[in-house]
Amino acid sequence: MKEELVIAKNVCKSFAGVQALDNVSISIKKGQIHSLVGENGSGKSTLIKLIAGVIPVDEGEIIISGHSYRHLSAINSIREGIQVIYQDLSLFPRLTVAENISLNQIIEKGKKIISWKEIKKIAKMELSKIHVNLDIDELVENLSMANKQIVAIVRALTQDTKLIIMDEPTASLTKKEIVSLYLIIRSLKKKGISTLFISHKISEVLEISERITILRDGKKVGEYATDELDADTLIFHMTGKKIDKTPFEYNEEKHNKEKVLLEIRNLTKKGNYENINLTLRKGEILGLTGLLGSGRTEVALSVFGLNKPDSGKILIDEEIVKIKSPKDAVNLGISYLPEDRYSQGLFLHQSIGDNIIVTIIKEILNKLGFIDNIKKSKIIKKWSEKLKIRTPSLTANVETLSGGNQQRVVLAKWLVTNPKIFILDGPTIAIDIASKADIHKMIIKLANQDIGIIMISDEISEVFLNCNRIAIMRDGKIVDLVDTKITTEDEIFKIVNGKTKKNHIQNTNIIHK
Amino acid sequence: MFDKILKRNETYLLLIIILYSIVVTCSNKSFMSLENLFDTLRSGTGMMILGIGVLVALLSGGIDVSFTAIAISSGYIAVRTIMVIGIDNLFLAFVISCSIGVFLGAINGIIISYFKLPTLITTLGTLNLFHGLLLTIIGTKSVNAAQMPKCFIKFGSAKLFTITTASGTTYGLSVFVIPLIVVIVLTWFILKYTMLGRGIYAIGNNMESAVRAGINVIKTQLFVYCYIGFLNGIMGVVFVSEVRWVNPVYLVGTELTVIAAVVIGGAKLTGGSGTIFGALLGVGFITLLNSTLVFLGLSSSWMDFFIGFVMIISIGINSYRSILKDRRILSFKL
Repeated sequence: MKEELVIAKNVCKSFAGVQALDNVSISIKKGQIHSLVGENGSGKSTLIKLIAGVIPVDEGEIIISGHSYRHLSAINSIREGIQVIYQDLSLFPRLTVAENISLNQIIEKGKKIISWKEIKKIAKMELSKIHVNLDIDELVENLSMANKQIVAIVRALTQDTKLIIMDEPTASLTKKEIVSLYLIIRSLKKKGISTLFISHKISEVLEISERITILRDGKKVGEYATDELDADTLIFHMTGKKIDKTPFEYNEEKHNKEKVLLEIRNLTKKGNYENINLTLRKGEILGLTGLLGSGRTEVALSVFGLNKPDSGKILIDEEIVKIKSPKDAVNLGISYLPEDRYSQGLFLHQSIGDNIIVTIIKEILNKLGFIDNIKKSKIIKKWSEKLKIRTPSLTANVETLSGGNQQRVVLAKWLVTNPKIFILDGPTIAIDIASKADIHKMIIKLANQDIGIIMISDEISEVFLNCNRIAIMRDGKIVDLVDTKITTEDEIFKIVNGKTKKNHIQNTNIIHK
Repeated sequence: MFDKILKRNETYLLLIIILYSIVVTCSNKSFMSLENLFDTLRSGTGMMILGIGVLVALLSGGIDVSFTAIAISSGYIAVRTIMVIGIDNLFLAFVISCSIGVFLGAINGIIISYFKLPTLITTLGTLNLFHGLLLTIIGTKSVNAAQMPKCFIKFGSAKLFTITTASGTTYGLSVFVIPLIVVIVLTWFILKYTMLGRGIYAIGNNMESAVRAGINVIKTQLFVYCYIGFLNGIMGVVFVSEVRWVNPVYLVGTELTVIAAVVIGGAKLTGGSGTIFGALLGVGFITLLNSTLVFLGLSSSWMDFFIGFVMIISIGINSYRSILKDRRILSFKL
């Protein structure tokens, strides 16, 4: 039962002189759930591509079911039963579920004429194999992300698959959906199908896998049974350094004497959220968490003038304000770091510098109304140094930066406006662990400079560590508001998932008085 | 089931056409006649064939604006060749016209598939290239009805069957429906039941995924543009037979109207989505407008206005529906 299915032996690969993989070995047994972890650029994708035969190895060999390949081609890899589910899923959005599932098999058979009966038959059969019920006549573009993923998995299974490689499969799934993905992976295991699970989310890797192979900078750090590892050692192996986690300390005595910075009173928007009450003081980091779709982002957008509430009030410095547009919000000293930095936070094809000053163009104009270039470059230089944006040139386009550095640009772009209130929606989504810790430090530093911060995240450990209070939302309502000093991470997790309720705060208006 | 019908673009277009027909009938009783329907069908055939070609291009994720130049080149060269060699045969005319169409289409296809140039730029270039070559090398001489080979004239006036009205005049269904039906059935079969056709949808949906799934993108794109050329060749013969007078500057300039018609019919410019029925309805609607504005007492210059109006409305409805869909994903049930 436990024979080796795929072995990569001492493989090396370099691109244009850069060593992407250096003497890496991995062995995946039949029916094993094996995780491959590492930071961005550690060589995970390269290793997948080598096993899938998409790119050839420079040195070393790949052995699949006892057949040794010096030059593995994509078609050989597929014939040996290896299927990759890429992060973009490679689906055809405007074709039906049935066709998406069956197309590969039909192509493989080399048929010229298509039988729709056969297409539907294949789809139904394959779906029933993993006990999933989907309308096979629905267009894939109308499916939820999780169901799209299921279609991709089922399609991979149509070809007598022995190993499924999943590249960051959980990136766009909700917690619930991730759980059902686990169920599918485990049921594949029972059928003797192995899974190579690629992720950089520690908790997921520890939960699903039996063995873990860790890569760092193109080298293999080690291969462990999952029970041998805990989150901290795994992080240490991945990053090569100890990440210090100093929880945020809020100076309650100092700030409680000051005016309330931001207050949300009975804010309601039908279909979005209901009766939201929150306060935020200077120097505070308020966490806002809840499952995807709980209304977190919608509330934040309302405060930033992008989602008009039906009723309720917003107060800044204890005065009622009207926020009708992001312009109003910025003028009131509110900044918003959006969830999706690619489409909402950055101008990807513009330079780093131009991205930083875009929020204050009006302030750097000279008397003639043209941009004052000296002033501009001074500001850009100051903030890129302050936020330690690592780049050879500030005139390079933002798209050339890593995720962590891109997020620093978004932070810089807002910090130049000198905000009083900073709403951070998923500040570390898709960012490396090391960069993540840096960004957390930066956020805490901002709070220490008396900026009031709202941090939205579905990663409970993130809000728990960096916030002094956490508001937990479920189905559009704030179900609980907890002080991180007297709560555990586990309790918060339970509240988020609707299992318990710690303290019944009905009136959240007055908390720190 | 009913739900799915309501989701379809074609349903709305059909409703608009019916409503419009009722309005026209109210203002002029003579509109709702079989004779008029046959007439509209005859004059719309050429554009419908072109529209199906445009649909195929859009489905593959590309676009073709050179088709008018290909169609007029094929038709005109076919007429001139037959005049020179003196074999007055309709079948030969189709063979010549379609060969030229496929040849010119293949040029598009080779540039697009092998050299991976953007389809719009490529076909914008070849539109001028093909038409320029036609005018310079073959000439600008127009051919009138008296000079035109008999096979075209006969084809243009032949009826599948005729009906004599009470007042003694006769009218009938033009034989143009034969090439039209052939084109519709052939295209429908290719698109729905061949691997090649599904490949067209697949590359239009997601080129990268299509490559990963093992679809031969070069072969598929080459086929798409050759096939469009073939359709343009058929249209070339139908066109010269219909107007019985051919000038090589005809047709070129109407590309955008045909594309607009197909888009009104629900085909997406982003590729991978659209139906033959929709394309036919779109073209049918524009042909209808063209021939009926007179019934409403409006000058034909109103046509552009209506095309624009309907296009914006139909695109507006589509985008509104996708906004609603996004909203549903964002919100939750209270």
